[in-house]
Amino acid sequence: MDAAWVLFSEKVLSQILVGLSRTTILFIVASGMSLILGVLRIPNVAHGSLYMIGAFLAYSVSRLFGGGSQGFWMALLLAPLGVAVLSFIAERALFQHLYKREHLMLLLLTFALSLIFGDLTKLVWGAEYKSVPVPQIFQGFVTIIAGFPLPLYNLFLLAVGPVVAVLLWLFVNKTKIGKISRAAAVDREMVSAVGINVSLVFAVVFVVGCFLAGLGGVLVAPTVSVTLGMDHTLIMEAFLIVIMGGLGNIWGALIGALIFGLSQSLGILIWPQFGIIFPYLAVVIVLMIKPTGLLKSTW
Amino acid sequence: MKKSLLLVFGLFLVGGLFLPVTSHAAQTLKVGIVDTYTGPATAFTLDVLDGFKLAADKINAKGGVLGRKIEYLTRDDKFKPDIGLNMAKELVMKEEVDVLMGTINSATALAISDFAKAEKVPFFVTFSKSDKINMEKGHRYVFMMSEHSEMAGRAAAEALAKKPYTKYWIAGDDYEYGHSIANGVWKHLQKLNPKVKLVGETWWKVGEADFTPYITQIIAAKPDFVIVATGGSGMVNFQKAAKATGFSKSMPFYQHTAIETSTLAAQGKNAPEGVFGTANYLFYYPNTAENKAFVDEFQKAYKRYPKVGALYGYLTANFIAEGFKKAGKIDKEKFIDSVEGMSIASPVGKIAIRACDHQLELPMYFGVTKLDPKYDFLTAGNIQVVPANDYMPTCDEVKASRK
Repeated sequence: MDAAWVLFSEKVLSQILVGLSRTTILFIVASGMSLILGVLRIPNVAHGSLYMIGAFLAYSVSRLFGGGSQGFWMALLLAPLGVAVLSFIAERALFQHLYKREHLMLLLLTFALSLIFGDLTKLVWGAEYKSVPVPQIFQGFVTIIAGFPLPLYNLFLLAVGPVVAVLLWLFVNKTKIGKISRAAAVDREMVSAVGINVSLVFAVVFVVGCFLAGLGGVLVAPTVSVTLGMDHTLIMEAFLIVIMGGLGNIWGALIGALIFGLSQSLGILIWPQFGIIFPYLAVVIVLMIKPTGLLKSTW
Repeated sequence: MKKSLLLVFGLFLVGGLFLPVTSHAAQTLKVGIVDTYTGPATAFTLDVLDGFKLAADKINAKGGVLGRKIEYLTRDDKFKPDIGLNMAKELVMKEEVDVLMGTINSATALAISDFAKAEKVPFFVTFSKSDKINMEKGHRYVFMMSEHSEMAGRAAAEALAKKPYTKYWIAGDDYEYGHSIANGVWKHLQKLNPKVKLVGETWWKVGEADFTPYITQIIAAKPDFVIVATGGSGMVNFQKAAKATGFSKSMPFYQHTAIETSTLAAQGKNAPEGVFGTANYLFYYPNTAENKAFVDEFQKAYKRYPKVGALYGYLTANFIAEGFKKAGKIDKEKFIDSVEGMSIASPVGKIAIRACDHQLELPMYFGVTKLDPKYDFLTAGNIQVVPANDYMPTCDEVKASRK
């Protein structure tokens, strides 16, 4: 009985660690989405496409620098920047003219963009699967808990998550743009009435949000095959996380990602055949208890 | 400025929606191809199309079929059965194609197959994996050019039954393909080796990105061998997670198409070694002059190695040409009669289409992934050939399933 219990708890601990590393990517992507949703009021359907483009860019940059560890670090640096530049162009050319229109117009625009980005990706990178190798120093695994391997790369992701969260907190709470954007989220007329160029603030927030989508794409690339269609899987999960956490609330996105990632990895332990339903079950339960999401929605 | 930008984006959108269509010409042999050209499936379907084009161009250069050039029209079904069916209808009703071929989506293939039966148009299925296509729902007008999941399962069972493993775990994509591959292996493995036991099962959603939590769970259960029933990009995702967790070193596992070039080439030298898999075609095996010539031609035309889809497309074009030649005129019924049981020379030797169920009789290669200094990605080693007759359902079984 005792032994069985220990085994059970070791299993649980190992699944929590694995689940948390998956949470990192979900959080990074969902927080960017939530940021854009909260400040600009755009349900950005193209967010998943930017995540996909981030992964494909990571492939190209990593190849450009020889495909090894150096390639990965350059990809981590350059690919999200590439996505940021792309999103900046899209924001200045398209979005900024539509902020005053209905949300539906923006939603349609992002939907159209997701289709265009999908086709552009196919045009640029072709249809074959791509792969970004795990950087040398993160190859292999450690066994923190006896008998349960944790890939070193997942350990790296576990460290990246909190770093991004802290940087995001600093951006939103300590920078002038962050403060203005929080104010603009509540009352954009007032902010613009005191003489602040809201349009520029929006552009910055949009780019930061999309940068996070690209960053998520780069971070996920070494663990999956980089392929067309990877945007669809992610966008669903990211939306659910954002809704669960409270629309537009970045910390809500963190909590939502934690619930989503952990309910999945622990669900697998409870009922392996039906492990897939647990995150969705969690979403249903959360929304039944708090239909507006766990934290304060900015909508 | 704004307008021109919108125009550019509009053009991109239109450009992506319609793939190039060859011009309408009189007196051609028209083949209508419905397949998925958007999304992840494109990794397989472009090979079918390019293989077909390669053969058709060669046939056309030699004067075509019965004095007619082969003309092909492509339509994108976007992986949606309703769109695919509409496209097939349009090709038959409006374009009046003589033969239909496609698609990688089993539901679409079944829908088009029903339509082909009603319209009496021959339909060559080129990448769908549902056994329903030519078993339960099989009929005179449908031909199967790829192996189906039941066949893949049997082929793997044939090879696995000779191995010493007894405690098995099954894990896979929670959809029709995953379950039917797993069932195919398991049902036949139990028959061939009564000692095997199923320790447990894991099923995840299609498109699952991170397999690590599933893998740690399987490791904890300590089976001897794991049957991993993934498809598409899940193949690569699982292999990456298997390598990162050390799973591929500590536990032997099988994935159908694990040794296939589309799975391995993507990963370069980082793919895990020692993974068991099956495939209908490998560009380096068999090492014959015919295969080498095909690979050279394909590489020259498209600057990449042909994958299994290329062979399906290439053979489909050749069977269409030879079938009509033998029929002596462009007559669909005579064409079907002549293709039944017909065999042609192919890159992998003489290949026939079985008369009773219209199934292409390709051999299956069972092998294990390994590094080969000749290539910058992993290839299959210890290849064991499972002849078509050993893993195809018998004609009686097919007949029984159709009742």
